[in-house]
Amino acid sequence: MKLKICGMKYQENMTQVATLQPDYLGFIFYDKSARNFDTSIPQISNSIKKTGVFVNEDLDNVIQKINTFNLQAVQLHGEESPEYCKKLESQNIEIIKVFSIKDEFNFEVLKPYENVCDYFLFDTKGKLPGGNGYTFNWSVLNNYPSTKSFFLSGGIGLERIEDIKKFQQSKASKYCYALDVNSKFEIEPGLKNISILKEFKNKLSNNIMNYNVDEKGYYGEFGGAFIPEMLYPNVEELRQNYLKIMAEPDFKKEFDKLLKDYVGRPSPLYFAKRLSEKYNTKVYLKREDLNHTGAHKINNTIGQILMAKRLGKHRIIAETGAGQHGVATATVCALMGLECIVYMGEIDIARQAPNVARMKMLGAKVVPALSGSRTLKDATNEAIRDWINNPVDTHYIIGSAIGPHPYPDMVTKFQAVISEEIKWQLKEQEGRENPDYVVACIGGGSNAAGTYYHYLHEKDVNIIAVEAAGLGVGSGESAATSVLGKEGIIHGCKTLLMQTNDGQITEPYSISAGLDYPGVGPMHAHLCKTGRAEFMAVTDNDAMNAGLDLCKLEGIIPAIESSHALAIFEQRTFKPEDVVVVSLSGRGDKDLNNYIEYFEI
Amino acid sequence: MNRIQTKLREDKKLLSIYFTAGYPNIDDTVTIIKGLEKNGVDMIEIGLPFSDPLADGPTIQASSTQALKNGMTTEVLFNQLKDIRKTVNIPLIIMGYFNPMFQYGVETFCKKCQDIGIDGLIIPDLPVDVYHEEYQAVFEKYGLINVFLITPQTSDERIRYIDSISNGFIYMVSSASTTGTQSGFGEEQTNYFERIGSMKLKNPQIIGFGISNNETFSQATQHAKGAIIGSAFVKYVTNADGIKTIGSFVKSILN
Repeated sequence: MKLKICGMKYQENMTQVATLQPDYLGFIFYDKSARNFDTSIPQISNSIKKTGVFVNEDLDNVIQKINTFNLQAVQLHGEESPEYCKKLESQNIEIIKVFSIKDEFNFEVLKPYENVCDYFLFDTKGKLPGGNGYTFNWSVLNNYPSTKSFFLSGGIGLERIEDIKKFQQSKASKYCYALDVNSKFEIEPGLKNISILKEFKNKLSNNIMNYNVDEKGYYGEFGGAFIPEMLYPNVEELRQNYLKIMAEPDFKKEFDKLLKDYVGRPSPLYFAKRLSEKYNTKVYLKREDLNHTGAHKINNTIGQILMAKRLGKHRIIAETGAGQHGVATATVCALMGLECIVYMGEIDIARQAPNVARMKMLGAKVVPALSGSRTLKDATNEAIRDWINNPVDTHYIIGSAIGPHPYPDMVTKFQAVISEEIKWQLKEQEGRENPDYVVACIGGGSNAAGTYYHYLHEKDVNIIAVEAAGLGVGSGESAATSVLGKEGIIHGCKTLLMQTNDGQITEPYSISAGLDYPGVGPMHAHLCKTGRAEFMAVTDNDAMNAGLDLCKLEGIIPAIESSHALAIFEQRTFKPEDVVVVSLSGRGDKDLNNYIEYFEI
Repeated sequence: MNRIQTKLREDKKLLSIYFTAGYPNIDDTVTIIKGLEKNGVDMIEIGLPFSDPLADGPTIQASSTQALKNGMTTEVLFNQLKDIRKTVNIPLIIMGYFNPMFQYGVETFCKKCQDIGIDGLIIPDLPVDVYHEEYQAVFEKYGLINVFLITPQTSDERIRYIDSISNGFIYMVSSASTTGTQSGFGEEQTNYFERIGSMKLKNPQIIGFGISNNETFSQATQHAKGAIIGSAFVKYVTNADGIKTIGSFVKSILN
């Protein structure tokens, strides 16, 4: 939940408040208010939205203030009409319309404003237009009929933390976007008490579940960087630079351009009509299978190769299981003219010959991992060992949302383009950004991380993660980490992993090489532990059938990984009006042999 | 005073030997420890095998895989070692990866080490900051010395930090590598050894990775308090007579 601190008046106080990084700072332009703003705004962080608060102000004056103070939002506290709001549309700012509530509220009055403002703000009805210092009965919002996000305001102070917690768990908070605080944090009108605000903000963030990585590299109790000292300089160099580099305009521009011109993004969001009819719900497929190289993996390798170049690295290493990430890495190395070494388990090399050939054609060297079980886990070990032996000139492109911090976060952020696109694509097709469900298969979890990312904190979006049950969760031949795994350390992070009682990592099994991993990314471990995501397990057999079903119903041959996600419709019923977005992470060409053998085609 | 600290005060260059517990055979652990002490080794690192030893090269990986196949577990190792202090007096260190310890329970693991008479731990994938914040108090409660690694890429600032957290010795990794992959030291290593020597750290340094014979042992101990041999010894005991002839291995290093 965002935080708005309103009623700023004194420059030094503003600078201090800004260090707390609220999301909005409010300046009241109303001369009858004790907090009327009559000075200038000091230099504060661009991420804080400067909000002008007005009461029935002349429109020209509002526009003049927007320009003078470079406001990013206006909050309208009087009887401003919908037409009035509409006239502000061209200003390219957020419009927050205030409504005051006492014990009851006629929500009908919101209707005319639905399309002319960005947010509603609910304040306590009192003598003054705001700043009365007491709260209204928040349960009135149980009947909130709209889907527009709103600010909650009126008498919110430190002593209400517990109430806020309860409110957050209630239905009434579903569309609550931000809290707006003012008079309860003041030494005198307009002068904020920094220490109490700080305490409030800390308590609030403890209250609110954060599903993103924290500053220490953890998702709740999962994550971190459990690496040998030999890797520390490499990982630390990346940690210190990755966010900075990703924020550079020139990086963004190059990344976006390659995604568009080379990968072929945006990938379509396709309404699967016949599939929807079969299961009597609305199914959309996010077509990552249509990307260059045939899967979502390329989103991440494009991002990381640009990162590696900016870090001055000229040798690239990667691990691969089925070969999809290896091919995506070899592809971007060819694109950038960088040396590429891909580690692949000896057993996988034998069963994935076409991808081995692809990598070689793309100029990569494929090195067999001969240790342990000679599959993905061991290929990852070998890649890490290579990195230990080549600490200066080499970048390791991890293919999934795993590894030591910052890898899970970096990979997630590169894959986040998936949900970023879903938002606007769904808005175009369904008139709303948020589906009822987002569904993705999970091995390490990179396509899932990207599919969920922009929905993690959208409470109305349910998240479903589909793991590979192999021959069945209880069969001893499975990769359903959330059920069979427990907390431990694998490949540099603390997460859920399949292991013996003695802490030795065990071999998973799935027909799908991409889901055949004994761990799950730390973000997903956290989503599982907190109950934010629902984890389901799908057997080889159910996945194969769902894959074949999609071929026949929609003319799309999915990767076996993605077929796992599709199989949930046989396990679970959705309402006819539910919008379910499934990440179709890859295409099935690479799995043809598997399909042929399985169905004796 | 902990046996490691006492040993470090001796006026000699120290030879420390690593071996993988349960390798080549499950019951070799105690035999190897006794053989090493008898032949004048100063300190022993008992390797607790792990399925995915990231910092190790092929030799120790293979010995770990075999040891696990032989049935080695944390519990088995503790049982094998329960009477070790009746006969063995030199410092004993358990070296292993963090996950098996984490599953055993870090505090239970530490307590068991104290009961047996283990003096210290080397856990390559437990970073110094996590140790400092979460586990240092527990290790100290049970009188265990935790040993940290530094490498040629470790910054001076971080070396100082590691030195401040350490209370035994610093494990100086000779070069950017996994275990058992180097042969001989060049100018780069010598420069690094000298650089660290000139930092006048409060903890003595013992050099490991790439020590395999008398020549590399002598080179390393010119600049440090001692040296550790791992892969070369593991290879040696792989030979049929290896365990019976530990004396000749140790002699070949020290002479």
